[in-house]
Amino acid sequence: MIELKNIFKWYKVGGNRAFVLKDINLRIAAGEFVSIMGPSGSGKSTLLHILGLLDEPDEGEYIFLDENVLGLKEKQRSALYKQHIGFVFQAYHLIDELTVYENIETPLIYKNFKSSERKAIVAEMLDRFGIVGKKDLFPTQLSGGQQQLVGIARALAIKPKLLLADEPTGNLNSKQGESIMELFKQLNEEDGVTIIQVTHSEKNAEYGNRIIELLDGQLVS
Amino acid sequence: MIKTYFKIAWRNLAKNKKSAIINIVGLALGMAVFILIALWVWDELSFDKYHENYDRIGQVVQTQTFSGEQYRNVAVPFPLGEELKTQYGDYFQYVTMASWPGEHVLSQADKLISEHGIFMDAEAPRMLSLAIVEGSIDGLANPNSIMLAESTAKAIFGDENPLEKVLKINQQLSVTVTAVYQDLPDNTSFANIRFIAPWALYVTSESWILNQRSNWDNNSFQLFVQLRNGVTLETVNRSIVDVKRNRVDEERKKLNPLIAIQPMKDWHLKSEGIMRYPGERGGSIKYVRLFSVIGVFVLLLACINFMNLSTARSEKRAKEVGIRKTVGSPRQQLILQFLSESVLTACMAFLFAILLVFVLLPWFNGVAGKKLEILWTNGWFWVAGIVFSLFTGIIAGSYPAFYLSSFNPLTVLKGTFRIGWMAGLPRKILVVVQFSVSVALIIGTIVVFRQIQHTKDRPVGYNRDRLMMVEMKTSDFYGKFDVLRSQLKEKGAIEELSESSSPMTAVWSNQGGFTWPGKDPALQTDVATIWVTHEFGKTVDWQIREGRDFSREFGTDSTAVIINEAAAKYMGVADPVGMTITAGDLGGGDYHIIGVVNDLIMDSPFQPVKQTFYFMNYGMVNWINLKLNARKSTAECLALIEQTFREVIPNAPFEYQFVDEGYAAKFAQEERIGKLATFFATLAIVISCLGIFGLASFVAEQRTKEIGIRKVVGASIFQLWRLLSTNFVILVLISCLVASPVAYYFLEDWLQNYEYRATIPWWVFAVAMGGALLITMLIVSLQTIRAARMNPVESLRDE
Ligand SMILES: Nc1ncnc2c1ncn2[C@@H]1O[C@H](COP(=O)(O)OP(=O)(O)OP(=O)(O)O)[C@@H](O)[C@H]1O
Ligand SMILES: [Mg+2]
Repeated sequence: MIELKNIFKWYKVGGNRAFVLKDINLRIAAGEFVSIMGPSGSGKSTLLHILGLLDEPDEGEYIFLDENVLGLKEKQRSALYKQHIGFVFQAYHLIDELTVYENIETPLIYKNFKSSERKAIVAEMLDRFGIVGKKDLFPTQLSGGQQQLVGIARALAIKPKLLLADEPTGNLNSKQGESIMELFKQLNEEDGVTIIQVTHSEKNAEYGNRIIELLDGQLVS
Repeated sequence: MIKTYFKIAWRNLAKNKKSAIINIVGLALGMAVFILIALWVWDELSFDKYHENYDRIGQVVQTQTFSGEQYRNVAVPFPLGEELKTQYGDYFQYVTMASWPGEHVLSQADKLISEHGIFMDAEAPRMLSLAIVEGSIDGLANPNSIMLAESTAKAIFGDENPLEKVLKINQQLSVTVTAVYQDLPDNTSFANIRFIAPWALYVTSESWILNQRSNWDNNSFQLFVQLRNGVTLETVNRSIVDVKRNRVDEERKKLNPLIAIQPMKDWHLKSEGIMRYPGERGGSIKYVRLFSVIGVFVLLLACINFMNLSTARSEKRAKEVGIRKTVGSPRQQLILQFLSESVLTACMAFLFAILLVFVLLPWFNGVAGKKLEILWTNGWFWVAGIVFSLFTGIIAGSYPAFYLSSFNPLTVLKGTFRIGWMAGLPRKILVVVQFSVSVALIIGTIVVFRQIQHTKDRPVGYNRDRLMMVEMKTSDFYGKFDVLRSQLKEKGAIEELSESSSPMTAVWSNQGGFTWPGKDPALQTDVATIWVTHEFGKTVDWQIREGRDFSREFGTDSTAVIINEAAAKYMGVADPVGMTITAGDLGGGDYHIIGVVNDLIMDSPFQPVKQTFYFMNYGMVNWINLKLNARKSTAECLALIEQTFREVIPNAPFEYQFVDEGYAAKFAQEERIGKLATFFATLAIVISCLGIFGLASFVAEQRTKEIGIRKVVGASIFQLWRLLSTNFVILVLISCLVASPVAYYFLEDWLQNYEYRATIPWWVFAVAMGGALLITMLIVSLQTIRAARMNPVESLRDE
């Protein structure tokens, strides 16, 4: 499903290149559940953004679903993204101006779901994450953990083939974290959703069937 | 301490260059417009104030009623002056008769110039408080004297001393220069008067004038007065109202002649409906009011814009305020910081505005037909400017200063303090007001120019092409008709030459007292009368509709009259040719109608053509009309004509005007309004655009994060663009709905000034609306597309 070849990513800092990712080569098959681990600043989020077509590497090739996505036009890329990928951000990134309900609904609008379908899906998500009672609140009125749940619910609403999650449980208590992990595992096993998550927790990493270590922008293994 | 505030303020402005520039430029434009208009209004309102006795000077105006309609005219009969002097002397310090102002030839030795001048009573220079440079203010006491404006003295005598020199007026009247006075400034009613000669001289100069001495029926003169101290205008007007009525016969009493004094302060701005010198139209208080309103409006828009943008920017800084407060910055300090920033901006805008005014003034003067100057030396101008800048700065800065600094820092930092898009109603209203004004001005500009074009396209009824006119200023011009005509024809300079009593671009005389068979006895006639020579029609190419033109073959044509179609209609007779008209006011002669001619527009192109009688009389003419030869170039013809005139009439300067130029001058006022409207419309649009540009970029910036997230969850650029633009488009549409009826109302009202007027078609509104929408879309799109195209990872970074 995913193949990265010699991916480099750098930032220009005072004329020099500060490498964030160095020569990353990676294959992930459909149906895998991969955990990415590594110290802070090692480039995990950057890698995930590239995988999620939100960012571009400075060098290398990225083949997603048999397509060389780096050669694609912005429009095709966003279509591909819209179709297949759900993304859970480390910083949640909810729209402050919209309620919980509307936040979850937004991607469905952009995927042209009918209003009745949207209602059903959003209701299901609210229920699944136990936030029905919060549906009319604004993100700023929620705790960090609750916001994270809304972020996950939004990503899953479109039923993606590939779920990318950047520390999805970082702000949750261990019990909540566990139930999210159970949910991911279930999605992976029953619905065949490919999942790539970034995590700091060994225990959560174990839910996946493969662990990738990043250190200073390079893969260790 | 204050200095540090301004230093930090300066740094903040420099950091946000784009919004600072928008702010300064926008406010400066508004201020510049306001200053320009203020200078103009100031000039209009101070018209004639040059005269020290401004408050007590007046001109006599006569109101007469023709067929139920009142006509007001400054022309009065000769004996009225004497009557006021002798019977009402208690009221008046000065009573001075005056001729019509006009061009006269002044000559000394071989020097020959043509100047605008007037004949007035000897007290006139005192009444007008002329500033004497040399000689005596009572210089007109001797009938054979003349007072020259400095410019005239210079033109004739150069650096020589003009005093006691002898001149000739119109090659006929010998006068001695007794005084030189400073030219009157442009914003006075007598500005174009370059010499004053004694009324006593005028009276004896031509026999017909002397004959009017006790004639109450001939309104051919002007009368100026100055009230004595302590006498009110109301008292005087009440007592003199019937002074003429009491002196005329029963027939004349029917016209109900009423006499009143119009004070000098009303001459320039409140003379609507009063006939003054032919073709002269003063300013109008209506335009002064209209432009004042526009000026205040534009300034207001710019100010509100400024406040909104400052506020918008400072809301973005809510977080900064929160942090500053958590680290212990006292509230007072925050307030001062915000205030010094906006005051600094306003002051910079003021300086920039002055620069703009300085650059725009020459052009503005051209458009407005004025000679305005920045009041560099007037202390009040600077005081007003500085007070105004401080005021604007403080008002604009007060919202962010007091509102934001009042917040609990935690709410700001936690983000619970949220600013909705465009922060609610006030900003939406602002956009609507701005665009309403812009749209209304666009509509107004189109309609004004349509009216001008519509009237310009109106057929004039004669051929202006290669038609030239020469005023017969002195007696030397008379008796030369045959020589001029035959010589010029022989040389091939002209196709035809004729003479007439009025120029082609004006009607100089109107008469009453006509009768004809079957005339309604109740009708008090009022007809334009023009005296012409045989070939007048051939020269100007008029179209005979019925009957025939004047002809040399009929010796009886000296008692013939040709009437225009309007006159045929006015008389209400089906077949006028062959009828006889009796001219009661022209010595009671009978004239037979030999033809009906098409309507020629000789007066205002905005009015219907008046009923006109063309008589033939070689002695009543004032103008020579020449149709240049089409087979020669204009320059060749002109050279030949000039040469011939110099030979035949050596004692008069050769001066001419082309009829098409004279005709074009009739549109000067309308074109002025059109140009000013364009100017204001452009500025209003620019200011509105700056406003919407600032708001759009602010909104785009404020919503960067939201845009990023929406993009991440799958929104296309088009969807984002629509999301961000819709609100602005709706606001502009509302503006159009507000502006259209208001503009329609005012323009309909304005068009009522013109009998011959254009319509206001629907497409004018569509064009204005389309234009406003297009501009908005363009500006908003520029901002939103940039925001929408941003890499979401970039925009989401700073979390
Ligand atoms: N715009 C930028 N300019 C310069 N350096 C950047 C920029 N964005 C990210 N970096 C650097 O890239 C490196 C990798 O960042 P990234 O967010 O991928 O780390 P991470 O592994 O996700 O860390 P964490 O566990 O804290 O989330 C960091 O050292 C960061 O400083
Ligand atoms: Mg990270």
